[in-house]
Amino acid sequence: MNSKRILLWDLPTRLFHWLLALAVVALVVTGKVGGNLIDWHGKVGLAVVGLIVFRVVWGLVGSTYARFCQFFPTPARISAYLKGEWRGHGHNPLGALSVFGLLAVLTVQLLTGLVANDDIAFVGPLYELVGRDLSNLATGWHKLSVNMLIVLVILHLAAIMFYAHVKKDNLVKPMVRGWKEVPSGESAQGGGMLSLVLAIVFALVAVYAASGRWLPEPPPPPPAAVQTPAW
Amino acid sequence: MKTKLLLALLVGSLAATAHAQVKVEDAIKWRQSAYATMGWSMGRIKANIDGTYNKDEVIKSANVIQAIANSGMGALYVPGSDKGKGWVDTRVKPELFTDGPKVGKIATEFNQAANELAKVAATGDAAAVKAAFGKLGASCKSCHDDYRTKQ
Repeated sequence: MNSKRILLWDLPTRLFHWLLALAVVALVVTGKVGGNLIDWHGKVGLAVVGLIVFRVVWGLVGSTYARFCQFFPTPARISAYLKGEWRGHGHNPLGALSVFGLLAVLTVQLLTGLVANDDIAFVGPLYELVGRDLSNLATGWHKLSVNMLIVLVILHLAAIMFYAHVKKDNLVKPMVRGWKEVPSGESAQGGGMLSLVLAIVFALVAVYAASGRWLPEPPPPPPAAVQTPAW
Repeated sequence: MKTKLLLALLVGSLAATAHAQVKVEDAIKWRQSAYATMGWSMGRIKANIDGTYNKDEVIKSANVIQAIANSGMGALYVPGSDKGKGWVDTRVKPELFTDGPKVGKIATEFNQAANELAKVAATGDAAAVKAAFGKLGASCKSCHDDYRTKQ
């Protein structure tokens, strides 16, 4: 058997993937259960802002198979794949649709979640920027579009099962170990330390922006001379 | 004495009329006001849990929620009030008026959670208040999830 080992998924991509998987499960559970867990929902959501921004930057400056241009699902690529003519590695054109779909739905979830409210005692960190009416609207979208997210995740898992059992191609192993046995192909290149630092810096800036820490402080409590009335 | 009796009768009959004919618009307004007031109280309690804990403020807020929860708000869901405008358009789902037992179960859980919160608030035990607050919030949510339209 003439096969060779190539580096498919670089370490940052793998870490991103598994952290995101963990976070999405945590978000769906905390969001559905509510109660005091809603505070954790907010915290994990902020972390996911960082993860998604990291992945977007990594899609531009990361290593070969992590780059968006490498797997962007153009109609030509999709039709070639459907005819069985695709010979690449990494995200195949249909899988790439799912990647971009997940990124898009997660972005909607993040943007709406940051300004959402639960009409109980929780508001997203950027709630103040949009006010009640828009927040209610965003909350409605947040609750609807999570269903889309769940559908995409199920599809993702179903595709992995299909590949494992029907096409005899284990997609999970490379996402854990990084390398894959292939008949031919090149190891991933690029995505060095500079790219990594850049992506992390962007991610941290995004988390700070999303946290609302920069928003003006609420007005200070009135001076002690003006006592809160006893009633 | 006679006038007092008459007055009492008059007030009594007025109250009875008011009770018999709750206008849909009023019912929705009172509902919305009650929930808004509970929202104020929930926000206050959360601020105390997250920041400096002030026992008195938490007691006041928890008592407000307990009082409203036990006020018999079900009476405000009069026939025809599944649609309409109080302060704003109501967001209640029509299912609330037809799912009797399920709504009753959520309402009972809500009452129990509100009573529990008021009980632990009185002790000033911040950790217990936080737990009871979480349970109460979850019961708010279970009704919002099932019986409130998304906007």
